Amino acid sequence: MSDLMTKSPAASGSANAGPGAGAPPPRRRRVDPTARGVWPFALPAVLVTAVLVLVPIAYTIWLSVSDRQSDGTNSGFLGFANYAEMFDNPQFWNSLKITLFLFVVCLLVETLLGLALGYVMSLDVPGRRIFQGMMLVPAITASVAVGLVWLLIMDPSLGAANQILAKVGIDPVVWLGDPDIAPWSIALVDIWQWTPFMALIISAGIRSLPEEPFEAAALDGASGWRTAWNIGLPLLRPVLTVAMLLRTVDLVRFFDTIYIMTQGGPVNSTNTLNVYGYNAGFVDHEPSYAAALQVALLVLVIMIAGGFTWFRQRASR
Amino acid sequence: MRNKILSAGFALALVGGLAAGCGGGDSGGSANEISLVMSNHPWQKAIEPLIPEFEKASGVKVKVQTFAEQQARDKISLNLQSRSSSMDVFMTLPSREGLQFSKAGYYAPLDDYMSKSAAYDAADFPAAVKTGMTIQDKMIAAPVNVEGVVLYYRTDLFKQYGITPPKTLDELPTVAAAIKQKSGGKVTPIALRGQSAALPFTFGPFLHSQGLEWTKPDGTPNFDTPGAADAINRYATLAKEYGPPGVVNNTFTQSSALFAAGNAAMELESSNEVSSINDPKTSKVVGKIGVLDFPAGSAGSKSTVLNWGIAMSSYSKHKDAAWKFIEWATGKATQLKLTADGIAPPRTSVAQDKAYTDTLNTETLKEWSTALGNVQANGSTEVGPVGVAAPEMRKVVGDAVGKVILGQADANAAAKEIQDGLTPLLAKNAG
Repeated sequence: MSDLMTKSPAASGSANAGPGAGAPPPRRRRVDPTARGVWPFALPAVLVTAVLVLVPIAYTIWLSVSDRQSDGTNSGFLGFANYAEMFDNPQFWNSLKITLFLFVVCLLVETLLGLALGYVMSLDVPGRRIFQGMMLVPAITASVAVGLVWLLIMDPSLGAANQILAKVGIDPVVWLGDPDIAPWSIALVDIWQWTPFMALIISAGIRSLPEEPFEAAALDGASGWRTAWNIGLPLLRPVLTVAMLLRTVDLVRFFDTIYIMTQGGPVNSTNTLNVYGYNAGFVDHEPSYAAALQVALLVLVIMIAGGFTWFRQRASR
Repeated sequence: MRNKILSAGFALALVGGLAAGCGGGDSGGSANEISLVMSNHPWQKAIEPLIPEFEKASGVKVKVQTFAEQQARDKISLNLQSRSSSMDVFMTLPSREGLQFSKAGYYAPLDDYMSKSAAYDAADFPAAVKTGMTIQDKMIAAPVNVEGVVLYYRTDLFKQYGITPPKTLDELPTVAAAIKQKSGGKVTPIALRGQSAALPFTFGPFLHSQGLEWTKPDGTPNFDTPGAADAINRYATLAKEYGPPGVVNNTFTQSSALFAAGNAAMELESSNEVSSINDPKTSKVVGKIGVLDFPAGSAGSKSTVLNWGIAMSSYSKHKDAAWKFIEWATGKATQLKLTADGIAPPRTSVAQDKAYTDTLNTETLKEWSTALGNVQANGSTEVGPVGVAAPEMRKVVGDAVGKVILGQADANAAAKEIQDGLTPLLAKNAG
């Protein structure tokens, strides 16, 4: 059991699917990553990464501790005044709360629905591939387009959503104009857009699982639920955590759909950290304060993603 | 060894390409090519089809980029903050971002260009319009239109219900209540703005018509005077009791969509919106629209009036070509052509031109023109509190009024929130 759990699904999948599963693996020359000869090949990638990732991060950190004006001048090191202002500002804590709310709700629902849908998609039924292709459409549609279409659907007076509700006798819902409902409406759009993506990854994971443990469980007379809970889920955990990690990073820096649909409103009820930081930089023209917010967001992403990775490594040990 | 040299060469080429790519954004285009960034607006829709005429006559090629209002602001801000020369001309609202942009040195002053061009006749713009485009004695933009808050109403519905259109702020909620009652709740009595950043434009007249200003003469906020809470209460009650569902998210787009679809009996909006609600292609209520002055308060009917302008970026490398475009776009001949699309001309000579006044031939357009005249004569040019932090201040006002509309706060609490929120932001004006 324990060696099955450590096996990556891709490896076990290919071992099952390969035609010569019983033959010894072909000999391969291993590359020693510490060999000096490797460096010239790695250098371009390292340089590109440094220029495109590290430099902007370093610059953002510098901005956050200095006093850059909108005319481009910078009056130099300021210490942690921007961070002090941030921690004093109730809007920062409100934004943090909304960011975490959307992260928890969306991730939970997308994972649970993704599991159910992923299981259905992993079954061999006619038309499965066409269905899979269709499922990808929301995920590959630009979020801006998704936001604009949902904006039309959720219009309280003229939108399709309320017209459908009216047909079945339900009172109209103020989807985006009520601070108590708007965060849920935003979550609904994200769930619509990203559940299929989760389901696709999960269904691929399910299809690559080894069959033996399930056969053994069936012989022992385990129920379907019990098999799924005690064998399927633990085997699926590596795939599941990768899928959840991908969504986590996106959800913590949630921006595009919100920016299109509510710009953080009504009354800041959908003002996530990223939207708040954006407005501070580009509407209020306070680049240094915006940089401090972005650094806070970066720390939050690293903390949550790091937590996930730690959990994943611990679980697979 | 050979491999090493090859890959080192590859790495260098890659980095070199990258560096070239980084610098490429700014250098593009010849001296006879300009880049224009516009906000989605009736003026933009009207001028865009005319640009090929300009290109043909002047030899200057215009690269046009158009975005929704908020996105256009972001794009313009981004170009200016990064001191990019990739944008030469942009649409601007001096009443909103004038001080902010001016302080940052984003505008190239137009005074010299205007005085050198005899045909341009800058004196043709009314003094009030020119004042709105002038900051610290420099003309920072050329005016492209004039607009102000008016009250549109459905003549057919008012007749059907036997209601007289409201003339005063006191009558407004009474009329709205009558529509709500007589239509059995089927028609939204009034469509108006609720979105925080957009709300001050239509909320301002509620203050001004009661004789109040945004700020006191010493530059501090004026929301601790009793009348301010009353103005907030009037606006919020109207929105909450008689506005459309989800009104706190609405701006002109949603309001005009509702009115044009025939779902609202009144619309409190910019005079500009006539171009969409009175257009048979987009509206079901053409021929049934009346236009009124903003309802009078104790100080009379004091609307908000504003002008959009087009400005030249101080980082532009093609300033002469950029001026040629501005000169053409805000010149007499072009502004006269634009009136055909409902763009109210800021130039006096065009406003009085018979070729224009003859086109105001329907009841709706006649009333509209009268209302716009009154807006220009009596309106306040202060769309929101004036200052370097104007966009942020408008959001403070909009958020607080929004809370009253949502029933989260009462008008007195909102007035206090605005007073407290504006105080540090207005203090930035001194610095």
